[in-house]
Amino acid sequence: MVNDDAELVERIRGGAPDDFSEIVRRHQSHVFAILFRYERDHQRLEDLAQETFLKAWRGLGQFDGRAPFQHWLSKIAVRVALDHVRRQQRRRNEVALPELGDDALDWLHMDDGKNELETNQAREILEVALRELSPAERIVITLQEIEGRSVKEISALTGSSSVAVRVRAMRARAKLKKALEQLEKNDEQRKTRQAA
Amino acid sequence: MNNEKLDKLLSAAHREAPPTPPADFEADVLRAIRRETPTPREGVSVFDQLNLLFPKIAWVAIFIICFCVAGEIVSSLNSPSLGDGMAELSDQWMFTGKGF
Repeated sequence: MVNDDAELVERIRGGAPDDFSEIVRRHQSHVFAILFRYERDHQRLEDLAQETFLKAWRGLGQFDGRAPFQHWLSKIAVRVALDHVRRQQRRRNEVALPELGDDALDWLHMDDGKNELETNQAREILEVALRELSPAERIVITLQEIEGRSVKEISALTGSSSVAVRVRAMRARAKLKKALEQLEKNDEQRKTRQAA
Repeated sequence: MNNEKLDKLLSAAHREAPPTPPADFEADVLRAIRRETPTPREGVSVFDQLNLLFPKIAWVAIFIICFCVAGEIVSSLNSPSLGDGMAELSDQWMFTGKGF
């Protein structure tokens, strides 16, 4: 059993491709944890995770071992997520998008939002509101505000400068706030129309 | 929507646990890899490619050299040498009217 990832990668390059299953076993949870923020459907999430490992396999020759393997793999996963969000946005007008449930809408209408919010409701609300952001903004706000990563980490993962990450994060937060307010307004208008 | 409410929403999303990968996930990945290219190789440079081609290039070079040497030998057998040609020319020069 090889403990070091870099050593394992060397073995795979040296002609032991089956050892890649050990790489998958070690890092699959980490890859799923990055990608599940961008895809709800389990089958599609699996496809994205598989795509990430396939890209890692194809690019194994470029892994230089200077940074930990997991960090290198995370960069690939973030890139796969970004491509996925871009594809989703292109299909936006072609597929029916989920609407918010009553519980989620009720929480949005509360003035202070002091009531506890279920994680699935939060996700439901964010999924709708985040559609208003560009793919790059969505990635940055997810990494920073939802995953809790630092600007430096996001910069390394996305290949953008720290300043660009900060600016994008601020812009994304402002847009998200606006999108949530718009959701509230739309629901109020809908209720008014129904009452009339 | 105040900042506190937005933070609450984001922290609720943060608490969501990621799904567990299916048991056969690694087998699926390996199957997909087998359908793909063979073992990945490190970046191949021009020199690596030349090294790989070297035996072929060497054999072709040896063949060309041998062919030229053989051609030279055959042609020298059928025609007078350069030295003969020079001697013949100088003889003709000496015995013409333009000579000394």
